[in-house]
Amino acid sequence: MELLEEQITGVTALVVRGRVDSTTAPTFGQRLESVIAVPKSRLVVDFRELEYISSAGFRVLLVAAKRAEDAGSRLILCSLSAKVRQLFDLGGFLDLFTIAASRDDAILAAS
Amino acid sequence: MPKKPPNILYRADETPPHTVTGLTVVQQFGLMSINLIYPVLIGREAGGTAHLAGDLVSLAFLVIGVGALLQALPRVGSGFLCQPVPSAVYLIPSLLAARRGGVPLVLGMTVCAGVLEMSLSRALRRLRPLFPPEIAGLVVALTGLTTGAVALRMTLGVNASPAPGASAAVVSVVTLGTMVTLNVWGRGMLRLTCVLVGMIAGYGMTAVLGGFRPADWETLVATPWVKLPGFDHLHWAFDAGLVIPFAIVAVAAALKVAGNITTCQKLDDADWVRADMTSISRGVLADGVTTTLAGVVGTTGMNSSSPAVGLASATGILSRRIAYVLAPLLVLFAFLPKLGVLFFLMPPAVAGPALLFSATFMFVNGLEIMASRLLDSRRTFVIGLSIMCGLAIDFLPGAFARFPAWVQPVLVSSIVLGPVMALLLNGLFRLGVRKTQRLVVEPAAVDSASIDAFMEGSGAGWGARRDVIDRASFSLAQSIEVVVDSCEPQGPLDIEASFDEFSLDVRVAYTGPPLELPEQRPSNEEIIASDAGQRRLAGFMLRRHADRVQAVHRAGRSTILFHFDH
Repeated sequence: MELLEEQITGVTALVVRGRVDSTTAPTFGQRLESVIAVPKSRLVVDFRELEYISSAGFRVLLVAAKRAEDAGSRLILCSLSAKVRQLFDLGGFLDLFTIAASRDDAILAAS
Repeated sequence: MPKKPPNILYRADETPPHTVTGLTVVQQFGLMSINLIYPVLIGREAGGTAHLAGDLVSLAFLVIGVGALLQALPRVGSGFLCQPVPSAVYLIPSLLAARRGGVPLVLGMTVCAGVLEMSLSRALRRLRPLFPPEIAGLVVALTGLTTGAVALRMTLGVNASPAPGASAAVVSVVTLGTMVTLNVWGRGMLRLTCVLVGMIAGYGMTAVLGGFRPADWETLVATPWVKLPGFDHLHWAFDAGLVIPFAIVAVAAALKVAGNITTCQKLDDADWVRADMTSISRGVLADGVTTTLAGVVGTTGMNSSSPAVGLASATGILSRRIAYVLAPLLVLFAFLPKLGVLFFLMPPAVAGPALLFSATFMFVNGLEIMASRLLDSRRTFVIGLSIMCGLAIDFLPGAFARFPAWVQPVLVSSIVLGPVMALLLNGLFRLGVRKTQRLVVEPAAVDSASIDAFMEGSGAGWGARRDVIDRASFSLAQSIEVVVDSCEPQGPLDIEASFDEFSLDVRVAYTGPPLELPEQRPSNEEIIASDAGQRRLAGFMLRRHADRVQAVHRAGRSTILFHFDH
């Protein structure tokens, strides 16, 4: 897994490349935590290059969403491929997160 | 019930309004009239007169009418709008027969080819492994390409005498431009009738620019309104030396029908995944009956029209009701020669673009059918080499002239050589492809890339659907991950994946406790709070992702069985 971070008009955009599984999920979780733990922060997680996400990755996202809520921060996911969207759907996660179609939409929503 | 794709207006079993039906019938008729040139060419080669050519065309109308009805009836034919037309597939062997033995030999050998195609239709189901979807797609794509080449020759006036001038170019641009513009940007009736409006625009522009020859008008005026087709030429002959070319043509015709019907099935159902062999088998039978009938009543070989399917794809009108109206009209036209002549005199600058328009859709439909399956290097060679060898006949005319005489019948056309090559290569490359693949995973060294490669490679070797392989890849990766993380397996995990055309079964076996596959999703709190919650989430997703999943524990050994419908 590779994580690429970018700052866009006060919004942190994190591009996730590769696989989020039980091996890589802790690193992914730490990176999410480092951003959303800051009160009122805004984080866009860009999944356009995500190949695979397992239950371990979904758990990390759930934890991050709860932290964001506690800190008054915003967590927005975007650019899910059809394959990844299907996994979100199967796991019952589509309604739990704010999901934007594109990164631009996500940044607009977060701003 | 099949789901209607967004670009289809009327599925095969739907009834369009009368106006739409009427206009579509005219468009389909206009497109098929281009193929009436084949009986004329064959009659000319046999040394026949214009009178004989007229009879061959009139009888062709009669047979097309009967064939269109047979093909469209769901319990008799395929149930789709893919009517027969005098076919280019039969042209070369029929010309050969015409030279050797005149019209009687053409008719006799046409009956032979029809009977052989009928026999093939009964064996199609058993031969299914030899006719995978990518070969049907290849036939459709090659048909689109060769039809497109014919269309371009007509449009550009290659070898025409006199060579077409600037006015013909203007007519072609107006015809094709009207069709494409209305199809892309048109709405409602204009989009539905884009081919007809394009043809009318082309005829109009031809008249304005003085493109009709006086001889054309004289022919039209001299043709009687009502006349019974003549049967003077009705004799049959047989030549054993022509059995091979006509047998090859029968196979190519069967493959082309299979390709056309596969395209119709795909167009008719947004969730199409595999060819319905019952419908294809009936369709091939109807096609064979039509060709046999053509030989019996005295006209040339017929085959399901690819441009007709291309037109249905372009307009979104697949309704078989079109055939129910078209069929009796065609039978009637057999007795109204003036109407046939009107279409027969269609200027090449109109006919060429109309053919090009529908060939474009056929070609892309063929590509889509081929791309619906994962392709490994074996299948890549089957498709790539077959297409290139087939096209070599068109690109390199004369290149095969020095090949032995016995192989020449295969080298008459790209539509014959391409599918024959594909069938041979497919048969060859099927050797050594195992239906069950195995992988051993050491818990201490799980390599996600090799697990993905295992499923991808196996799927490509089998020619499986991408979406099914994607689902199986997730199930395999997630199950290995959760077993290794939480079941403390003793020793390696044994993975086995088995495939046939209808199902994919993946089996993960290990020594250790079984994996829980709950029917209820754990709550978000459970997932966040503990590893057990996360494990239950994995089990829940695995249960939902496969069509069937089962966890079995026996004598300390656990097995997870995933089943995916294919």
